[in-house]
Amino acid sequence: MSRIGAVTLLLAVLAAPVAAQGGMKTRTDTGMAGMKMGADTGKAAMSMPIPMPKGMPMFGALQGLEPPIVPFLPGEGVDPSTLPMARRSQIVRMASGDTLDLTAMLLRRNIEGRTYVMYGYNGQTPGPLIRVPQDATIIVRFHNHIDLPSTVHWHGLRLDNHFDGVPGVTQEPVPQGDDFTYKVHFPDAGVYWYHPHVSTYIEQAMGLFGNMIVDSPDPDYYSPANDEQALMFDDLLVNADTLIPFGKNTPDFALMGRLGNVLLTNGEERYQIEVHSGAVVRFYLTNSSSSRTYNLSFSGAPIKLLAGDLSRFEHEQMVSSVVLGVAQRYVVEVRFPKPGRYALVNAVQAMYHSQGEFFPEVDTLGIVTVDSTPASPDYAAQFDTLRTNTAVVRDIDHYRKYFDRPPDKKFTLTIRPGDLPLGTIQFMNVDTAYFQPVEWMDGMPMMNWLSTGKQLKWIIRDDATGKEDMDIDWHVKQGSVVKLRIYNDPFSFHPMQHPIHLHGQRMLVIDRDGVPTENHSWEDTVIIPVGSAVDLLIDASNPGDWLMHCHIAEHIASGMETVFHVDAVPGMTGPSTGG
Amino acid sequence: MGGTRRAAGTRRDVRRRVPARLALTAATLAFLALPVGLLLALPTAGYGQQARPAKREGPYDIMMFNTPRAGDAVAEARLFYASSPFGVAVTVDGIDRYDVRLSIQGLPSPSALGPYKAYVAWEVTPDLTTWHRLGPVDNDTTVVGTTNMNKFLLVVTAEASAAAGTHQGPTVLHGTSPSGWLENFLTHDAFFRGVY
Repeated sequence: MSRIGAVTLLLAVLAAPVAAQGGMKTRTDTGMAGMKMGADTGKAAMSMPIPMPKGMPMFGALQGLEPPIVPFLPGEGVDPSTLPMARRSQIVRMASGDTLDLTAMLLRRNIEGRTYVMYGYNGQTPGPLIRVPQDATIIVRFHNHIDLPSTVHWHGLRLDNHFDGVPGVTQEPVPQGDDFTYKVHFPDAGVYWYHPHVSTYIEQAMGLFGNMIVDSPDPDYYSPANDEQALMFDDLLVNADTLIPFGKNTPDFALMGRLGNVLLTNGEERYQIEVHSGAVVRFYLTNSSSSRTYNLSFSGAPIKLLAGDLSRFEHEQMVSSVVLGVAQRYVVEVRFPKPGRYALVNAVQAMYHSQGEFFPEVDTLGIVTVDSTPASPDYAAQFDTLRTNTAVVRDIDHYRKYFDRPPDKKFTLTIRPGDLPLGTIQFMNVDTAYFQPVEWMDGMPMMNWLSTGKQLKWIIRDDATGKEDMDIDWHVKQGSVVKLRIYNDPFSFHPMQHPIHLHGQRMLVIDRDGVPTENHSWEDTVIIPVGSAVDLLIDASNPGDWLMHCHIAEHIASGMETVFHVDAVPGMTGPSTGG
Repeated sequence: MGGTRRAAGTRRDVRRRVPARLALTAATLAFLALPVGLLLALPTAGYGQQARPAKREGPYDIMMFNTPRAGDAVAEARLFYASSPFGVAVTVDGIDRYDVRLSIQGLPSPSALGPYKAYVAWEVTPDLTTWHRLGPVDNDTTVVGTTNMNKFLLVVTAEASAAAGTHQGPTVLHGTSPSGWLENFLTHDAFFRGVY
């Protein structure tokens, strides 16, 4: 055993008698609402209130505790038999001027043989896939039929600020039973998604999300494919009997976010498609998880990367896997050269913090079955050709002159711990002696579960003013090109990667830790690994008050958000286009 | 960035990092004092004098130590994610992929150590069984790469050729990947002394 591991385990034993002093509730025989768990703390492994990875030790100091939250699960007091079973997502093709009714509602889902009451849009999981031509504007009449206030945020779209769906910034939350009408504009081709911006850690995690695909008028926008698939990845945290409740007014799992133990693709445990031999399939990939970062591959089938969040890449390139951060999207094409079965897997290196040991974690998310019939047309030659997207290159050319200038603004990402359990504070000191720049799984589920949004504060700090989160007052003029450096403090109480999302604008990642980016695409969400400084160039062409936040649902609910004000310039239209 | 100071012991690394994270509460300190003290008191290999670095290392910094074969050498190393359109570069299995920037001063001419003509950097498994060539280095700042191990030692050896594909010569510099901070290397004493 390593020495730090030994220190940790020794601390676990020593700390056990005092852990309950941390202001936490102590678990009782009845446990949390809707959960079955034993109260015999002498059998911690048997009575664990949350699932623990196999072999991971339970710290004595944390036994018997539960987070100080009001437990919440959807549909309290509702007879589940009255709710509809979730249906698969349906494609809704819309033209400019069309109207869609979108209803957030309670429904039932069958996962791993158990039925849960969850949420969905229009009875579907994911919600309807909205497919529109580029530059279309549609009307969406949103109806809130769930048991929480809600809104709809149109993630990645550079639309009119009034319809961005952010409570307290662009609109008030839509109460239960009420409606809101959104005017949704689609200026950029690509794949986008919609989700609530109220209690995201509950509503999105319980199924409120859906895709949007915006088609370019250029039929050659992407290289040709035999099939198209939109895949939304999320994960659900379940115990032996039930979902793990959420905090009604503040999230639990506030340290790392809620990482589920059941990985779902389009809401299903095992996604499946069948294609012909040699087929090229275009996948629109979206990470709708609360906190999980994926590393996706297809059993060695070649993957061609075409596009990021808001545009194609300057240059198509082959990749061995796709790293998909929270809320990010990528468009890829995969060629399945021979008959057989290709597993879609998420393969990561997880870590037991207390022991300092890595171990591979591989989840099969789906199966692509390839039959022996040759695909027609045969797109092998086009697939093997890596194109340069000159329109994207020319568009970005306008911004290269800004790449080397000093940052206009510097932010630091960090955390301020509060009234956490003493045991958690003790363990975290040692636990984070090493931390992965990107944490791919929950290596400290008990500590994570026990931390709530009221016991810590995640922080975006303006280096120049020292102001934090919503106190930052950052205004730029419409049409500005802003260079922002974001540094993720590796020496904070709990360093962790943050997928930073900027609403309503587009940005380029131009530099990471002093190394210039080689191949750009316009993005709205970027992973900032622990200890990294990432330079972003923001095309601030869309006027309004736009949220910038960490997209880990529990982090934004714990304060990690600020507003980026783009002050309108009279006579200037926006947003800028190109690429 | 981690700086090399004359040979350092793993025990000092632990002592340097752990207490810096223990300052939150007096109670914490009280709880840690005994076990940390006990564990730090365990005997570990000693390699001479070490200057304490002025700055803590981040998750990409590797503190490099010289061996008696290169007593005047100092070096720093830093990991950078290898080029990737995703920013975060990993293998298909999810192992981080880094390029390594090594800044070295004070290495003697390789020939001063024997029949050697070049220095080569390697990524080595903690049990020393697998050596992965990263590239030739010298008294300069050089980027070599790319790593493909979860934990590794960063080792510089003197070799007969800059193109050496397997290591033969003596170790002159070594460091531990940040991911290996929780690893114990008590059995590698001869290696760290540049004996082989």
